[in-house]
Amino acid sequence: MAETVVVGTARPGRFATVLIVTGSVILAVVALAAILAPLLTGWGPTEIDPLGTLVPPGPGHPLGTDANGMDVWSRLLHAGRLDLGIAVAGVAVAVVAGTALGLVAGYLGGWVDDVLMRVVDVFQAFPTFILALAVAALVGNGTGNLIAVIAAVNAPAYARLVRAEVRTVRESAFVAAAVTSGASTFGVVWRHVLPNSLTPVRVIAPLNAGWAMLTLAGLSFLGLGVTVPAAEWGAMISLGSPDVVAGRWWTSVPPGLVLLICVLGFSLLGEGLQERAEAKRR
Amino acid sequence: MSPVDPDLLSIEDLSVVIRRPGREVAALSGVSLRVGRGEVVGLVGESGGGKSMVARSIVGLLPGGSHATGAVRFEGDDVLRMDAGALRRHRGHGAAICFQNPRGALSPTRTVGRQLTDRLTTHRRLTEAEARQAAEEQFAAVGIRSPRRRLGAYPHELSGGMAQRVMISLATGCAPGLLIADEPTTGLDVTLTKEILRQFRHAADADGRGVLLISHDLASVAGVCDRVVVLYAGTVVESGPAARVLGRPAHPYTRALLRSVPDVDGRAVVATPGAMPLLTAAPRECPFAPRCAHATAECTADRPSSRPVPGAADDWTLACFHPRTDELAVSEPAETPERVTAAAETVLEVDDAHVVYRSRFGKGGHAALRGVSLRVAAGETLGVVGESGCGKSTLAKLLLGLVPPARGDVKVAGARMSDLRGRELRQLRTRVQMVFQDPIGSLSPRRTVADAIGEPLRALGLPAAQRAERVEAVVDRLELDRSMLTRHPHELSGGQAQRVCIARALAGEPDVLVFDEPTSALDVTVQAQILEVIAGVVRDPTRGSVFISHDLATVRGFADRVIVLYLGRIVEEGPVEEVFGNPRHPYTRALLASAPSLGAGFAGPKVTLTDDLDDTEADATGCPLAARCPFADDRCRAEEQELRSYGAARAACRRVPEIPDLLKGSDIRV
Repeated sequence: MAETVVVGTARPGRFATVLIVTGSVILAVVALAAILAPLLTGWGPTEIDPLGTLVPPGPGHPLGTDANGMDVWSRLLHAGRLDLGIAVAGVAVAVVAGTALGLVAGYLGGWVDDVLMRVVDVFQAFPTFILALAVAALVGNGTGNLIAVIAAVNAPAYARLVRAEVRTVRESAFVAAAVTSGASTFGVVWRHVLPNSLTPVRVIAPLNAGWAMLTLAGLSFLGLGVTVPAAEWGAMISLGSPDVVAGRWWTSVPPGLVLLICVLGFSLLGEGLQERAEAKRR
Repeated sequence: MSPVDPDLLSIEDLSVVIRRPGREVAALSGVSLRVGRGEVVGLVGESGGGKSMVARSIVGLLPGGSHATGAVRFEGDDVLRMDAGALRRHRGHGAAICFQNPRGALSPTRTVGRQLTDRLTTHRRLTEAEARQAAEEQFAAVGIRSPRRRLGAYPHELSGGMAQRVMISLATGCAPGLLIADEPTTGLDVTLTKEILRQFRHAADADGRGVLLISHDLASVAGVCDRVVVLYAGTVVESGPAARVLGRPAHPYTRALLRSVPDVDGRAVVATPGAMPLLTAAPRECPFAPRCAHATAECTADRPSSRPVPGAADDWTLACFHPRTDELAVSEPAETPERVTAAAETVLEVDDAHVVYRSRFGKGGHAALRGVSLRVAAGETLGVVGESGCGKSTLAKLLLGLVPPARGDVKVAGARMSDLRGRELRQLRTRVQMVFQDPIGSLSPRRTVADAIGEPLRALGLPAAQRAERVEAVVDRLELDRSMLTRHPHELSGGQAQRVCIARALAGEPDVLVFDEPTSALDVTVQAQILEVIAGVVRDPTRGSVFISHDLATVRGFADRVIVLYLGRIVEEGPVEEVFGNPRHPYTRALLASAPSLGAGFAGPKVTLTDDLDDTEADATGCPLAARCPFADDRCRAEEQELRSYGAARAACRRVPEIPDLLKGSDIRV
């Protein structure tokens, strides 16, 4: 009689935490390495070793030098500043701008909504990367411009996401309660609608930062990104790609790997946040 | 071990513990019950009692992480230990469930006929043509008119009542031995509730099925059940013949449940403090002891086992050391609060208000209110009753200025809402405050309780320190714990959240309080507690209240005057004793007649309406009720009805003087 029937197993709730921690640790390590770059290498990112180009990894140059005689290890470390910085700043601007647009469109509705969403439609009608290319070609390169490019191509998605969420939240009883409590439109939106519409943004933003890094690397690969000879992973891959055929892997494979690891870090973080949001809903 | 002629269903000492990382819940602790063929057994109790868990165990759908002991024997076989194949045959054929929310449980993209014939072709191996024929018969059997046409309908095209009928036909379609109905009438109007419950009784009587009827609504199940099982915190506290358990309950919890329910006969509601505990392990003491007035040291030292009630002949058992044998005192009607003098100042006035919801692309629209006038004096409570779709919620929104009137006026404390804009409008809005139906949903999830209660004060422009003071004052007044102020809505129980909502409504000292179904989302004993709080609040002579409910019994306990809405019009209004004691309009009489009651119920001659609300043409000329009214004649169908005075009340029916004659003799049925 004491026999127990066990039905399935509940999914461990720690799964989300593991994802979030792993992702955060990966990103923290890369960011720290970028910040502390001068302490980790004796070479400057654009300093040319007069004694040799395309030196294989060895003492002096842990990852060798590239075709211009610049130290790959140093460039790899320093590039993190640009790549992480531009991707994160670009996505941050996109989140703020997109959220603001989505809030206005979603809460006010009517013609405001129609106009804003048609503009968003135009932006979203182009494949992201093509749009990024076009904008980058238009505004030219430079750090600030690249942040603008990343923000411009990503903001429409946030606008749409937030608008959809706002339209649901707007109909909820607690918003009606706030309105009938005499709260101003700004008060209702700021204190009640906004905080309750951000869950999907929190999940998407880290994933988005990962994609933004790829977009940035892609632009640089095509020569529309950072100005040469600034250290940037995409530019390094572009510059080093001809060497691979000759067996000189060290100029392009390391930046590729670091890029991969960063995107993975962002993905894990995003997945973890999503998992946690879902667990909360159950 | 297994008996020769086993019961249809016999649950033996079933315990279920749900183990999830970080928390453990003892959902059921030693539950035993049985259902025979042709028997309707009611499983009653509040949420958290384990009602749904029992249902899930019977169809082998325990949630992941469940650890179950005991047995769930269905025709002798243990459902808990069935393999996948046996379980598949058992579901649908052996036991079938009717879900609580029929529209959610029906697949939205397939016609309801398709969903039924699918089951018939797979489980009963009928051919397509046979299945269609059988489906049509099934639909007719559950009272769906023009079944052939309805077979082609999609779920969203059906009303709630119709969808529940389809759900029943789906569940009974494969001739299951046992039908489980999980809160089948929640959210349905009173007139429909009766009809749907009759379908379950019919399934037991005509087809010899066992029916397990799960409900929190004691009054409705009382009429159809043979036996009743009362659950509390995962244990069976009392079970036995329905007439005994509900008529002369011996367990203090059953008694508390029964006393918590308002009744149309106007008896007083007695609240029981506290709430059901969420147990992490099987209880070692009586789980009801902390809330029980009769609890002694014995009750907390040991858990009472289920024993036959002393002296009772039939299988009436209860788990209590101190069974109550005295009559459940049907207390005298609640004392009526003193009448408001006519001289009291008018705080809210609505004059010939029409509200039209326009469809998005301009043309057409739906008139939700058609010329409603009312006035509420300070210190007065106005009750608003009607079935779903009558315009109750629209009226609430109109009073709060959430929808503008297409015609007519809303005046709050003498100021016309439509004249004001911006800051002045916001200030006026704080004069009318509402308590919503869903207490947790009406609190902003990411704001603390203190923030929520302070919201109206913020609009009044009070500085933070003063706000905090006022918030604490109102929290104390409602006897909420101050530690609750820093909590978030998801950390509150339904009852606590509703107290917070009432506190928020009171914080700005409004002129008018609107209660929109304030207790319908709450458990029975919590309902009684909240009703007590509201009763204290509406006594205030400085403000007027509007109490909106589909539940006539609840309104009766509070209101000074009542208006009855039907399809956006007032069909009857008057003092509460007049409207409930001597209803003039046939619609009011029909509503009262179908209201479930544990007592005598509505005393006068009863009227039964013929059709469901959704089948009548709302835009037809003449009296809107004509199509359903047994007294309607050609003039009723042709002429608009105006409110006429009959004694102290007014009713929109020209035949009122003739009705007593028409009613003479027996009940009117058509």
